[in-house]
Amino acid sequence: MAHISIKNLTVEFKVYGSSSRSLKNQILSQATGGRIAENADDAVTVKALDNVSLEINDGDRIGLVGHNGAGKSTLLRTLAGIYKPTEGSIEIEGTVGTLIDPSAGMDPEATGIENVYLRGYILGMCRHEIDEKVDEIAEFTELGDFLHLPVKTYSAGMFSRLGFAISTAISPEILLIDEGVGTGDNKFIQKISARIKSYFDRASIVVIATHDDEILKSIGATNVLFEHGANISQVK
Amino acid sequence: MLKVIGEKKLLESPKKLISAENLPQMAASDLVDGLKNYQLWWVFAAHDIKQRFRRSLLGPFWLTLSMGIFVGSLGFIMSQLFNQEIKVFTPYLAIGIIFWALLTSIIMEGCTSFITAEGYIKNVPMPLSAHFYQVVARNIIIWAHNMVIYLVVFILFIHSFSVYNLLFIPGFLLFLANAIWIGLMAAILSARYRDIPQVITSFIQVVFFVTPIFWSVTNFPKRPAFVDWNPCYHLLEIVRAPLLGQAPNNLSWLAALGILCVGLPITLYLYRRAYARIPYWV
Repeated sequence: MAHISIKNLTVEFKVYGSSSRSLKNQILSQATGGRIAENADDAVTVKALDNVSLEINDGDRIGLVGHNGAGKSTLLRTLAGIYKPTEGSIEIEGTVGTLIDPSAGMDPEATGIENVYLRGYILGMCRHEIDEKVDEIAEFTELGDFLHLPVKTYSAGMFSRLGFAISTAISPEILLIDEGVGTGDNKFIQKISARIKSYFDRASIVVIATHDDEILKSIGATNVLFEHGANISQVK
Repeated sequence: MLKVIGEKKLLESPKKLISAENLPQMAASDLVDGLKNYQLWWVFAAHDIKQRFRRSLLGPFWLTLSMGIFVGSLGFIMSQLFNQEIKVFTPYLAIGIIFWALLTSIIMEGCTSFITAEGYIKNVPMPLSAHFYQVVARNIIIWAHNMVIYLVVFILFIHSFSVYNLLFIPGFLLFLANAIWIGLMAAILSARYRDIPQVITSFIQVVFFVTPIFWSVTNFPKRPAFVDWNPCYHLLEIVRAPLLGQAPNNLSWLAALGILCVGLPITLYLYRRAYARIPYWV
C-alpha cells in the first residue's frame, strides 16, 4: 500500500547574493573585523515550507494549488528527496516517480532512440526495462524514421511528443508532477489524454502542482491550498 | 497495475524516511546508492565521450593520438636535450603524463561536477554523488584510451615483464582512491565558493612543474625538500614504478596511504555537512 505521511515539515534555505559566494569576501570579512562583512554575508533565508503536515493515502489524488512561490514545487521536490527538510519528517511507502522537468536527460545532439534510453535512465529505469518499452514508445510518438535522426532536427512539437511518450512510460506507485503533462499538438490531443489517463490510473497516489483546474477536475483531485509555504485548507 | 511494473515490484513497497534528524545517514547512503546506480552514470559518462567525438573518424582515439604525438615528440626532444637514453626516458614520460592527466582532470572536472549538473540536481531525484561518479567514470574511459600509448611504449622500449608489474593493481586503486577524495572535496567546495575552480586550476599549473614528470628525482640526489613533500610525486610513483617494472619505493606507498587516511575522512565529513545544501548552492 502506498502511503505518504508528512509531519511538521519545514524547509528553509539560504539564498546567497553574488558577493558572499566569493571566497575573497569571506576572507576580507575575517580580516576587516566586520566592516566589509555588512554586505559579505548578504544571504537571505527563505522559509519555503512552514510546518506542513499532510497524510496521503493509497488512492488519493492531491492537487497542490496556490500562488507562484507558495511552496508547491518545493513540497514536490522535498517529497522527491531533492530538497531536504530543516525540521520535521516525511515517511514514504512505495516507489516514487517524478515529472518535474519533462526533458531532463535528453540531448539534442543524440538520436531519438538514444534519447529514449537517456531519458529512461534519468526516470529510474534500467536498461532491461527500457529495452522492453522502447517499441511501444516509438510507436506512440509516430515519429517513424525520425527516431534515428538527431533530436535537434525535430520541430518543437515532435520533441515534446518524444519527451512526453518516454516520461509517461513509467509506472511508479507514487507520481509527483509539477505543472502538468501534455504537449501542444492538436491532432494528438486525444491520443495524449488517453495516455495521461492511463498514466495516472496506474499510480496509487498522484500529487500534482498546477494552476490548471481542468486537470485537477479530470482526476478528481483533493485540492490542498498553499500560501506562504503553509498548507491552509483542503477542498475536495 | 503491478503487471505493468514487472515482477520485482510485486514485493512489498519500499519504505523511506526523510527527516531533518537522519540527514547524516542519508548523506552516507547517498554515496552508496550513487555507486549502486552505476548503470546510470556509466551510460552518461560514455555518452559524454561519444558525443564529443560524434562523426569524427577516429572517435575517442583522437585523445590517444594527440597525447601519443605529444609524448613521442617530447620524448625525442627531451632525451636529446638532456642527453638521456630515449628508451628509458620515453616510457617514464609517457606514464607520468597519462596519470597526471587522469589525476588532474578528475580534480578539475570534479570542481564543476555539481555546478554543471544543476538542472539534474534540482529536478531529478537521483543520488547526488552520481554526478561526481560520472566525472570519474568519464575520465577513466579517457585514461583507458590513453593506456594504448603505454602499450606501444611497452612493446617498443620495455618489452619484458617483471614481478613488480603486479603492484600496479593495488597502486592504481590507491591512486584512484586519492584522486576521488580530492575531486569530491573540490566538487563540494566549488559548489559553495565559485572561486575554487580558478584557484585549483592555477595551483595545478604550479604543481605540474614541481612534480617529477619531465624530470626524475634520481637525477637530483640533492633536491629541495618540496619535491619529497609533494603528494603528487608519491601518487605518480605508486603507479609509475610498477608499470616500469621497478621495485616499489616504500616511502611513496606510505605517503599515498597516509594522505588517503587523512583526506578521505575530511571529505566524508564535508559531504555529510554539505549534502543537504548542495541543491541550493548550485
